[in-house]
Amino acid sequence: MPKHKPKRGAPSVDMTAMTDVAFLLLTFFMLTAKAKPQEAVVVDTPSSISETKLPESGTITILIGPDGKTYLDMTGQHTRKSLIADVNSRYKLGLTEEEQVKFSNAGSFGIPRAQLKKWLDLSPSERNTFPTPGVPIDTADVNKSELADWIHNARIAQFRMKQEGVVKDEYVMVVKADKDTPYPAVQHVINTLVDINVNKFNLITSSESDPNKKAEEGSEK
Amino acid sequence: MAEIAQDSGGGGHKKGDKVRSKKMSTRIDFTPMVDLGFLLITFFMLTTTLAKPQIMALVMPEKDIKKEDIEPVKESKVLTLLLGANDKVYWYEGITDAKLDSTDYSAEGLRKVILDKMNKVKGQFGEEDYEDFKTKEPRKGSFINVIIKPTEEARYKNLVDALDEMAICKVRYYVILDVSDLEKQFIKNPAGGLKFNVEEQIQAATQ
Repeated sequence: MPKHKPKRGAPSVDMTAMTDVAFLLLTFFMLTAKAKPQEAVVVDTPSSISETKLPESGTITILIGPDGKTYLDMTGQHTRKSLIADVNSRYKLGLTEEEQVKFSNAGSFGIPRAQLKKWLDLSPSERNTFPTPGVPIDTADVNKSELADWIHNARIAQFRMKQEGVVKDEYVMVVKADKDTPYPAVQHVINTLVDINVNKFNLITSSESDPNKKAEEGSEK
Repeated sequence: MAEIAQDSGGGGHKKGDKVRSKKMSTRIDFTPMVDLGFLLITFFMLTTTLAKPQIMALVMPEKDIKKEDIEPVKESKVLTLLLGANDKVYWYEGITDAKLDSTDYSAEGLRKVILDKMNKVKGQFGEEDYEDFKTKEPRKGSFINVIIKPTEEARYKNLVDALDEMAICKVRYYVILDVSDLEKQFIKNPAGGLKFNVEEQIQAATQ
C-alpha cells in the first residue's frame, strides 16, 4: 500500500479560469467604453446641484468657448452623412463622397459653410491648429444664421433616419458653455434656438453638492 | 516565496548523491496578471459610468406671445434679479418704488434674498399645493415669481448659478428675459428709480 504523505508547500490555485473571466470582462468594457471624441475647444463647465444625466438618445451639442466662439457637434454617423449630403447639394459646396464621409466622423466643427471643404481636407491634427472662427450666427436674421440652418437640417436628417429605423430618438439639444463665456454669446445661441422653435434644451454642468440634502443629512444625525 | 518553501521542504542533499538537474515547473504564476486585469476592469467600469455629464434642463418661453395669453402677476410676488458684472447680482422687488440692492452668489447672499422674499410672499398669499413631478407626493410651494435678467457683462457661470438657486430654493416660477434699457439705467443710477411702463412692455413683448 502506498503511503499517503501530507502535501507540503503552498497550495497552488489554478488561475487560468479567473484570468479568462477577468480578460473577458476587460475586453467587454473596453469595447463598450466610448472613446471620448475630441472637442474643438476646451470647456470648463460651471457646477450645479442637478443630478440629471445626459440622455442616451442622440444629441446636438452646441459648444461655446470662453472667447464666445460657437462650435457644433451631433451624434450618429448616419444622420451626419445624410445631413452633409443634404447641405452639400443645397448650398453647392462641391464636397466629394470621401469628404462627406470625413464630415460624418469629424466630431465638433466651428467653421463657416464656405470653408468647410478646405477644413475637411486637413488631417485631424492639422484641424486643431486651423484658425476656426466658429459657426456664424446672424443675430438679426435667423434665415441667414448658419447655426440655425445646421440645427434645423440636422433635426430633419435625424427625423429621416428615425423613419428609416436607423435611430430610435429625435435629437436632444445640449448647450455646453464655459464658466467664463460672456453672456451675450450664450444669449445669441439661446435666441437662435428659440427662433427656430426649440424651446427646450439642456445645459451641461459639472456636479456640486446640494445644500438641501446636506442639511437633511445633518438633521438626521 | 513558493520556491523557498519547496527548498526547505525537500531537505538537504545526502552525501554522494548525484547532482541531478532540477526539473523546473512549467507553471506560471498568474496572480499579477489577474491583478492587472481586474485593475483595468475597475478603471473601465468607473470611467464608462462617470463619463456621462450632468445636465440642467431649461425651458424658454415661446417667441410669439399673444396679447390675450398674457396673465398679469401681482407685483408683490415678483423678484427681479439683474446679473451684473464681476459676479454681482442686483435685485429689486415688484415695480412700484423699486429699491435696487446688490448681493453676491453665496449662500448668505442671493439665497437669503430669495428665501426672504419667499417668506414674505408666503405671509401675504399663503402656500400653493402641488404634486411632485416625479414622486407624485403633495408638496407646498411658494407663489414667488423670479425674473432673471443677465446683463451683457454677466458671464455664463452667473446664469447657471442663478438657475441653480432656483432649484435649491424650489422656486417654481422663473423666467430668463433680456435686460431692458430702463434697468440698465437703474443699475447706473439707482436713486433715479425705475420708471416701468407695463403697457409699453407688453407691447414690446407681443410684437
